[in-house]
Amino acid sequence: MAWLTRTRGAVAAVTVAGTAGISLVVAGLTATPGRPPQPGADAQGGGRTGSPGPVLPRSAPLRIDIPAIDVHAELVPVAGDPHGTLEVPPLDRPTVAGWYRPGVSPGEAGNAVVVGHVDTRDGPAVFFDLGRLRPGDTVRITRADGRVVTFAVDGVGAYPKWNFPTALVYGPGGPGASLRLVTCGGRFDERSRDYSHNIVVRASAVP
Amino acid sequence: MKAQTVLVSAALGVGLGTLLLPAAALAETTVSPSTTPVGGTVVLTARGCNPKAGDALFRVTGPNRDQNVRSTTAAAGGGLSAELFTAGFTLGTYTVTATCGDGSAAGTATFTVTPIGGAPAGGGGGDGAGGLLAAGGALAGAAALGATVLVRRRRRAATVA
Repeated sequence: MAWLTRTRGAVAAVTVAGTAGISLVVAGLTATPGRPPQPGADAQGGGRTGSPGPVLPRSAPLRIDIPAIDVHAELVPVAGDPHGTLEVPPLDRPTVAGWYRPGVSPGEAGNAVVVGHVDTRDGPAVFFDLGRLRPGDTVRITRADGRVVTFAVDGVGAYPKWNFPTALVYGPGGPGASLRLVTCGGRFDERSRDYSHNIVVRASAVP
Repeated sequence: MKAQTVLVSAALGVGLGTLLLPAAALAETTVSPSTTPVGGTVVLTARGCNPKAGDALFRVTGPNRDQNVRSTTAAAGGGLSAELFTAGFTLGTYTVTATCGDGSAAGTATFTVTPIGGAPAGGGGGDGAGGLLAAGGALAGAAALGATVLVRRRRRAATVA
């Protein structure tokens, strides 16, 4: 009788372990792809021909919305760390993006820079799908003065970190208001715990 | 009629000259490159300064800085130049105002000090699916092993009986 009870317990344990194992394998196979999408050749874009949006005075941005990739995030100011590299929002706040405060604010003349994580160890972060953006997609920035500035994407590119396009991102730009969105992309190096590339989205203010 | 035409042309010329003069004066000072990662070197050049009149003085003002830099060399294309090392500069945009050795203003230019390299904006979230697959595979393997042991025991029991 005791043998029968033990056997039934063992069968139940094996069944539970098997079911859980198969479920985990299925979950792993159907989970969001581990690597972020990269910009395609058609995303490079060219010069924009439409009329530019208005140029505004300085005002800190509070929020970013990118409907095409379902991004709706708070913005916090960031600058540089003591080593001179760009500061990013802390990894424990992966849904927040950072506005590069030493530069212009979104809506001012020049390039405003917004940086966000592509992922953390736990999964996708705020700019995971940035590489999916295409020319013409819309980015909206809500500022502290209550104005909402709308930008249209001009192009998306992937650049090796060792050859980061400093002038393209931070440069003076044209007379109008422009936006640069920056995140990581390319290959993830497990040893250095860092990606090989940066994804840069170029956008211009539209009326 | 001819006199009128000449007058109008002269007036237009003076007007255009007045409009264009400030722009030309502004263009006399340049910074190259206009964007540099912190720690990089930029070259300040006052094109309109005559080296014979003495050194040019570049006043650099910005987020945490107000310093004067004296020209050190004659610029290849005319004027005077100085190199500026941006180590320790706060990130942001700086204005350079140049004055020639004779005290005349030589215009202004701006340059931007940026972070070094790219943005460290990723933590490598790809482990998630891999971890699920590994854990699931291990559990399923353990279950298969347990099932095999159970089946063998049952066969043995049946043989003995």
